[in-house]
Amino acid sequence: MFEITYEVVVFVLGITAVLAAFGVILCASPIYCALYLIGNMICLALLFLLFNAEFIAAVQIIVYAGAVMILFLFIIALLGGKKEISEPSVQRSSAFTFVILLFCELLLAAAVKPTHPITGDMAPDVVNAIGSAKAVGIELFSRHLVPFELASILLLIATIGIICLAKFSYLPARRRLK
Amino acid sequence: MGHQFVLIISATIFCIGTAGFLIRKNPLIMLMSVELMLNSVNFLLVGYSSFLKTLDGQIFALIIMTVAAAEVVVGLAIILTIFRTRHELNVDHINVLKG
Repeated sequence: MFEITYEVVVFVLGITAVLAAFGVILCASPIYCALYLIGNMICLALLFLLFNAEFIAAVQIIVYAGAVMILFLFIIALLGGKKEISEPSVQRSSAFTFVILLFCELLLAAAVKPTHPITGDMAPDVVNAIGSAKAVGIELFSRHLVPFELASILLLIATIGIICLAKFSYLPARRRLK
Repeated sequence: MGHQFVLIISATIFCIGTAGFLIRKNPLIMLMSVELMLNSVNFLLVGYSSFLKTLDGQIFALIIMTVAAAEVVVGLAIILTIFRTRHELNVDHINVLKG
């Protein structure tokens, strides 16, 4: 009798994520690509849940599958999702060769036995005892405070950059092309 | 079903993202492929933070998500600006800076 265990769920979710990733790059229309990407992100969020990372899974759903993909869908709706015609070319075949070589190298790297001993003290039961979000928060605001502040500065810079792009780049470029 | 499975799934999604970035002509889909690559790295980090019993991987994944959000927003703004001036979306034809 087929039994649903932890391993089977992880395996099925991983395979589904890979298939959704293939859908992203093989669909001709951008709207279907975006929908496949949402499927991939949801599969990865479920895998995060299975790896005892509830907070990251929630952030993945809210930030990626929510905000970022809504932005993508807005832009696709704004620009019109035209299908693209793909023809075989030299660039395409060299790209495939590069990707296959890269994949083989990554598989070789994956075949190496673990070199780092398990030294952490955050076992799943410890994390679950204080709560995943609380554990991540304590870690983030004590040992990793500088990267957190740098990330906030990065978001501020991105906001300023987008305002500059939206406000100042349109008219001069048009005059230049005339 | 341990380290090896996580490594192989992550490597596969990363390579699919690389292939999509290299073969597609639509900049929107190229950005989506970059998202795929970042997502695969996130998956590897969270999986290994669970295996190694530390939370550093999750913190790193959080920072990567911030960077990805900023990068997508700036990329989409650039694509929108290019579309407003040139009325087409093919990276092969955007060669104004080409020498």
